[in-house]
Amino acid sequence: MITLERVSKSYDGGRTYAVRDLSLHVAEGETLVLLGSSGCGKTTTLKMINRLIEPTAGRIEIDGTDVLDQDPIALRRSVGYVFQGIGLFPHMTIRRNVEIVPLLLGWALAERRRRADELLKLVGLNTATYAERYPDELSGGQQQRVGVARALAADPAYLLMDEPFGALDAVTRDTLQQELLALRRRLGKTIVFVTHDVFEALTLADRIAVLHDGRLLQLGSKKDVMHEPADAFVRDLFAKPGRQLAAYQDLAP
Amino acid sequence: MTAWGAFILERLPELWSRTGEHLFLTGLATGIAVVLGLPVGIACRRIRCLRAPVLGAIGILQTIPSLAMLAILLSLLGKIGAVPAIIALTLYALLPIVRNTLTGLEGVPDRVIEAARGVGMTRGQQLRMVRIPLALPVIVAGVRTAAVIGVGIATLSAFIGAGGLGDFINRGLALRDSRLLVLGAVPAAILALLVDFAIWAAEWSARPLRQSERRRVLAALKRPALLAPAALVAFGVVTSVLELRPARLGGGAAARGRVGTSGTVRIGSKEFAEQLLLGEMMARMLETRTHLTVERRFGLGGTMICHEALTRGEIDLYAEYTGTGYQAVLKQKGARGAYTVFGIVRDQYRQRFGAEWLEPFGFNNTYAITVRRADAARNRWRTLSDLAPTAADLTAGFTSEFQERADGYPGLRRAYGLSFGKAIDMSPALMAEALSQGEVDVICAFATDGRIAAYNLLPLADDRGYFPPYDAAPVVRTAVLAEHPEVRDALAPLAGLLTDATMQRLNYEVEGKQRSPAAVAAEFLAAKGLLGPPGRAAPPAGAPAKPGAG
Repeated sequence: MITLERVSKSYDGGRTYAVRDLSLHVAEGETLVLLGSSGCGKTTTLKMINRLIEPTAGRIEIDGTDVLDQDPIALRRSVGYVFQGIGLFPHMTIRRNVEIVPLLLGWALAERRRRADELLKLVGLNTATYAERYPDELSGGQQQRVGVARALAADPAYLLMDEPFGALDAVTRDTLQQELLALRRRLGKTIVFVTHDVFEALTLADRIAVLHDGRLLQLGSKKDVMHEPADAFVRDLFAKPGRQLAAYQDLAP
Repeated sequence: MTAWGAFILERLPELWSRTGEHLFLTGLATGIAVVLGLPVGIACRRIRCLRAPVLGAIGILQTIPSLAMLAILLSLLGKIGAVPAIIALTLYALLPIVRNTLTGLEGVPDRVIEAARGVGMTRGQQLRMVRIPLALPVIVAGVRTAAVIGVGIATLSAFIGAGGLGDFINRGLALRDSRLLVLGAVPAAILALLVDFAIWAAEWSARPLRQSERRRVLAALKRPALLAPAALVAFGVVTSVLELRPARLGGGAAARGRVGTSGTVRIGSKEFAEQLLLGEMMARMLETRTHLTVERRFGLGGTMICHEALTRGEIDLYAEYTGTGYQAVLKQKGARGAYTVFGIVRDQYRQRFGAEWLEPFGFNNTYAITVRRADAARNRWRTLSDLAPTAADLTAGFTSEFQERADGYPGLRRAYGLSFGKAIDMSPALMAEALSQGEVDVICAFATDGRIAAYNLLPLADDRGYFPPYDAAPVVRTAVLAEHPEVRDALAPLAGLLTDATMQRLNYEVEGKQRSPAAVAAEFLAAKGLLGPPGRAAPPAGAPAKPGAG
């Protein structure tokens, strides 16, 4: 379980806050989507969970331990992280990218290799074809599958995903979203997923946390945020796609 | 063309070993610069406030002219040879390596670094596994720049006796032999390209092999290419070591005043024809008349370099001129008579430097202010006093040593109250030709310069007796004479052997006819019956000899 308790983050010594007084918890096995437009503080929140950024105030716990009391290196190796805009290491083969965390953890070669091959298969990449390629020899969608495989390599209980599909075309994005849902059902990971895409949030989330200007506006199930919006902003946020959908349905044959 | 072929063929073994030395110097210096520069570049990235001072300091090193740098290191270290050369080359190599290391490390995209942090790499792992591999092409480009600059600058190290292809260039300049210049310069240029290519090849082979490139012919070359620079350096080390010039690395034992028990005598010389001839004659005499091994360390760039090499035991003997010893080394003035000056330098050298002046060779190579014979006739110049009134309209070409030395131009101005309109620094090798072609009107030649007659020039008489005597004589470390008394005996026949005219003729054989000093010296000694038993003596004096023979 991940718990955030009155967490704030200011980059300028307290004049402005990227995240202000944020409290939420992520239950075991659920997918929590942090939804908001850019600059709302969702990526900052995600990075604070594995100490890529440290909070200015408040407390973040993973399984009951304050992250600030944990060794940041060990913490990051124990939490899977899928980066915005892919973030593979361009000078390493696909296999090397996938096995990087096991490598850092000191696994034996054979074990690493077995794990990397298993994961590539899991994310739908043929080992024989892709394992020895370099990231720039793969399509964007394939690269992001590798990104997911890399995050899963050390079998972490938690997966942090920072707009992983943002840069992909709509069709690929949809495919990967469906695959992620399937993976989650199979692996039972606890996921914190950051997106600005309402549809993506509705597709993947168990619960949605709506952030705006660093503050949590509403935290609830898909039904809650759709039907009982906490304020005008949340209502508008979910109303807009509804209107777009309606417009689309008007045109559809 | 065939002449060229023979010329190159004859020097092939030396070309081989000089190339090896050159690679050794450049390779070692670049290697040291990489070992020093990488950590400095890494530290500069991590510690921001280091950047400006470190890059500034290294940049300033880069702006020091290479000859000045060599001279400074020479006086700081007090030794000639490979050590100061390697230090100078290393200092020059630092800037491109440090700067490219910094640039390369900085250039790694933020998102990649964030990913490295995100998967839990420590700072050291980020550096080793991500930053350095991604910066490698930029870092290697810096190393290539450094190595190519190094190959170029290494040609200058020959001035301080470090060897390398610069030896050919030095000798080419000293002997006015463009073939030697080419023999030094062209291989140096080829070597620069080769070194550049070898390092590139190694970097290429370290680059990831892409799917699309696999199974291509080139892929098979990947592994061997990695070894290209190593192979070059290995070649340099092997040829240098096989050549075994331990003295080039500093001659430490002898420098501490202990005479080597090796039975080796190291002969030095300055970098012009007469010095090479005298050095060669002394070498021949010692080779034929003693069992000592002779090592030729010729072409050292100037009086002070020879003198310091002698006093520090890096060479055992060389030919010096009494006037030079008296004024330039002992910093004395006033005495004029040849006999007086010789007595003073002999006593002073014995007391202060532990070196012995042997009997002079016989000629007096004093400075001769020289003009075109035609000008002299037109203006009725016979003496320096005749020249003084019109000096302001004339352009002089002087060696930089003459320009600066108290017994050179400064003293001349006072003695005759003359001042030339312009005084240009010139290489001694070029000045006679510059004078005959009218580029300058006056030069400081030497009385024994073979070109005086050849170019139809006239040395003006020193009517006020300004120039001191410059009688040439062997100067030998006393310790060497004590351990090997046969050295004195072996050199004794050279005393009084050479007149001004003889020396002019021998100099002209080398400078004018482009013959090797070794051949001319051997031929002369043989003609005098000084090499081996009389029966085996070479052709009599004056008989035409094949160039390059000997």
